[in-house]
Amino acid sequence: MFDAFFVQQLVNGFSVGLVYALIAIGFTLIFGVLNVVNFAHGEVYMVGAYAGVVLITALAPPLVAVVLFVMAVGAVAGFGLERLAFKPFRRFQDEASLKSKAMREATLLSSLAVSIIVREVVEKVFGGAMRPVPFESQLTDPVQIGELSFSTGQFVIFGAAVAMFAGLQFLLYRTRIGLSIRAVANNPLGAKYVGIDTDRTIIATFVVGSVMGAVAGILVALYYGSVFPTMGFAPGVKAFVAMVMGGLSSIPGAVICAIFLGLAEAVATEFLAQGWSEMIAYGFLLLTLIFFPTGLFGGARDRV
Amino acid sequence: MTLSKTIRGVLAGVAAGAAVSMAALPALAQKTIALGYQAPLTGEMSQYGEVFRNSATLAVEQFNKSGKLPGATVVLKFEDSKNDAKEGVNIAKKFVDDPEIVGVLGDFSSTVSMAAAQVYAQAGLPQLSQTASHPDYVKISEWQFRNITTQAYEGPFVAKWALGEGKKKIAVIAIQNDWGQSVVSNFKDAVEKGGGQVTSVEFYNPGNRDFRTILTKVAREKPDAIYLGMFDEDGASLLQQRRQLNVQIPTYATSSLYSPKLIALAGPSSDGLKLSTTFAADSPEPVVKAYVDEYQSRYKAIPTMFAAQAYDATNIMLAAIAKVGPTVDRKTLRDALAQTAGFPGVTGETTFDPQTREPTKQLARMEIKGGQFALVK
Repeated sequence: MFDAFFVQQLVNGFSVGLVYALIAIGFTLIFGVLNVVNFAHGEVYMVGAYAGVVLITALAPPLVAVVLFVMAVGAVAGFGLERLAFKPFRRFQDEASLKSKAMREATLLSSLAVSIIVREVVEKVFGGAMRPVPFESQLTDPVQIGELSFSTGQFVIFGAAVAMFAGLQFLLYRTRIGLSIRAVANNPLGAKYVGIDTDRTIIATFVVGSVMGAVAGILVALYYGSVFPTMGFAPGVKAFVAMVMGGLSSIPGAVICAIFLGLAEAVATEFLAQGWSEMIAYGFLLLTLIFFPTGLFGGARDRV
Repeated sequence: MTLSKTIRGVLAGVAAGAAVSMAALPALAQKTIALGYQAPLTGEMSQYGEVFRNSATLAVEQFNKSGKLPGATVVLKFEDSKNDAKEGVNIAKKFVDDPEIVGVLGDFSSTVSMAAAQVYAQAGLPQLSQTASHPDYVKISEWQFRNITTQAYEGPFVAKWALGEGKKKIAVIAIQNDWGQSVVSNFKDAVEKGGGQVTSVEFYNPGNRDFRTILTKVAREKPDAIYLGMFDEDGASLLQQRRQLNVQIPTYATSSLYSPKLIALAGPSSDGLKLSTTFAADSPEPVVKAYVDEYQSRYKAIPTMFAAQAYDATNIMLAAIAKVGPTVDRKTLRDALAQTAGFPGVTGETTFDPQTREPTKQLARMEIKGGQFALVK
């Protein structure tokens, strides 16, 4: 029996999962290289969304121009973030410091600090309340296919996720910079010894990851029709869960787990109150950590 | 040179101080009566605290100018509760220890108001909340008052309206907190008493912005109507996603969705939403018009229903103070508040029941038409 409502729930869940996946891609890329969580990724996402909305409100350009502008903002944000929160902790280049866990983990807190400051500044400038995206630019128009309802935003987000994923795979496996990113991810010290400019590679990783985060932010803002300063937090946490489930440094793993989480939440809502669907996500995380401590797609695989 | 500068500075300071105290001398005869106001002025609920502060400041300034209380000046003391029950209790203790304070306004949410109420009940300080609508709030002690119709009144009102329009099967979507619980139970009872049926009740966690799964689940039951118990930002997200999912079920809502922000966020998807309200900014009543004009010229925004409730709450408090006179204390203020009857506010005539301290107000019906709230006759 074809149950349209159930299939509709799968569509809903898939689109939520894609939102998580969009964030998880950039998140995982940066984790893969530095082996440390970039807590400011959710704020890059939020800044991308606000930058896009400001441009749309001022000039109402076509979507492509908005995305290009947001990509530029994301690149600057990624560069600045790396410069502020990560680079100062790499100033000692002796072997002990490079291997030091404490040095690396200090960036956990410095990125958290940057994220709090950025969020508070945005709240001061734009206010804490939700701001609408101008209606003409929103991607919320319904698209009816048979009994199922889609929205334009879902197709755009799907397209963007595929493009980002494919683009990143191309970048990582077909280009020179991708090769050095993979080398640094695999063994930063070894990469340094064979003459790879690790500093430049790390900056490049931040720029690429943050461009993806910022684009994800504006697309999701257009899909939901609004922006608010804390918008990066909740999906950021889910993307983090997906990354951990996927094995911390596997991008395909994170994407698959993100979509799985979205579907699980939607299907859970069918049977339980919405409040419980959160428990499903964290329940899966717990099960993964107990039975697959290296994640579902981690372990023996290539890093990144 | 630095020394002479310092001496000159001190002298100037003394002179200025003397001048200030001279100027203050005639005012010394004026007694100062203080009202505490606790509300979320920062954090996620700060937009509500902000409009309370605007309205209360306006009301007190108008009162002091009116000369209704010769021999005393009323001042407001604001404290930021951040919508946190622990902060609310701390503020309550501070207010109780302040001998100038004879009465307290606030807090915003039922949860924080009720936590603070325990302190006020013990110390004997009258508390008047503009928004706490949980049924148990006024039951805490004889010191608690509120200026909002509770869900015990609003739920049956909307239920009767929906049933009268032939909506027999109704689904309810509400936020998962004290207030949301009371929305659901009161509405459900009234619908079932009126011969209708509640097909499903869906609670969502505060902070959730994706209602697609809930809407899909609700639509499966094919109800005649949906009833929403939530605030403007959640409501706007839900209405947008309802349009996108092509769910064309008529929707009713609590008065909490009466806010210009809802239409600004949801745009055309808010059209057709029906809700009850005690305040309409476009009402032709002269009191409402005067308030809306003054508020708008001062704060460059149209007052929301919450702003109006805070304005009335402050004015009810002030009227009670004026009734007792400059000798007012906490006990006499409480007794005067309990006698509030037929107070002509901007949210309709308000009467407090002397026993239960529950307010009675007039509710009006509203519908969003073409991006505007319109009164339904």
